[in-house]
Amino acid sequence: MNLRLAIFKPMLKLAMERTGHGAALGFKITKIGRGEVEMMFPYKAEVIGNPVTGVVHGGVIVSLLDTCCGSAAITTLTSAAVTPTMDLRLDYMHPAEPHKPIYVVAKVYRNTSNVMFCRGSAWQDDPENPIAHCVATFMKVETPSISLTNIIRRRFNHLIRGAKAFEKEADK
Amino acid sequence: MSDALKILQESLLKARAESSPQQILDLIPYSNFIGVEAKIEGADVLYRMDRRPSNIGNPSLPAIHGGVIGGFLELSAAIEILYTLDVNEVPKVVDFSLDYLRPGRYKTMYANCTVLRQGRKLVNVSATAWQDSSDTPIATARCHFLIN
Repeated sequence: MNLRLAIFKPMLKLAMERTGHGAALGFKITKIGRGEVEMMFPYKAEVIGNPVTGVVHGGVIVSLLDTCCGSAAITTLTSAAVTPTMDLRLDYMHPAEPHKPIYVVAKVYRNTSNVMFCRGSAWQDDPENPIAHCVATFMKVETPSISLTNIIRRRFNHLIRGAKAFEKEADK
Repeated sequence: MSDALKILQESLLKARAESSPQQILDLIPYSNFIGVEAKIEGADVLYRMDRRPSNIGNPSLPAIHGGVIGGFLELSAAIEILYTLDVNEVPKVVDFSLDYLRPGRYKTMYANCTVLRQGRKLVNVSATAWQDSSDTPIATARCHFLIN
């Protein structure tokens, strides 16, 4: 297995499952591979979109597929970069059933120097009978400041500065 | 007819009679989850989503989750249909296409919607979201809904 992916997997899981909207919805990343990510969303009554049928709102499926496609895009990176979404197109094949988890899979099917093309699908019982299908494109914006070595360098400089200030204080 | 449907239809009539789209939003739990509010401004409905920690997508910027922006616009479009058209069931979304134009900063977001075409079965709605000014939209969406 790729070492970079091994370090990266828990970081991605942490970012997607433990913070912000992913944590609020209760997303679970079930599989991470290079250019392919699978996720799961357990049913939640707080996000019902149709009070008559109890079906979750389409916005949840947008969030799921956006997160899943975005994660898949990140796994293909070979340098420090951020991957903002350019656009996302969703087709709803049939409504989700209430009280059942939703599974999502996303794949990067074309990776160019500036743009990543992704597709994803969401299903409940049968992957061959999806509730929604999506295509999404992501930009690749090189951001050297977020590379691991630069983060460590900044932390180290911060510590040195702190130590120097402490020495100065002690000399007085 | 189920009780839930009866409550929905009564609320729809009441909301239209009292010019209060917020009453329709209150029926939908998802609107409370992401924190959407609606009010009448001039001839249109203005949708608003205040910032909240559970809507963050990237904590280091921080930025609003792209999916939340999508959910906000899809919800606004559905409310626009329920409030402005003579529809008495929650419209079913068929497709949804979203273009991200600028990052969604961690602050209040606004949206307005336009019904571009209403057919017998299908409605086409466009929705635009902005933060600082309506001249600098952060995202724009097009969606088709099936109505009964």
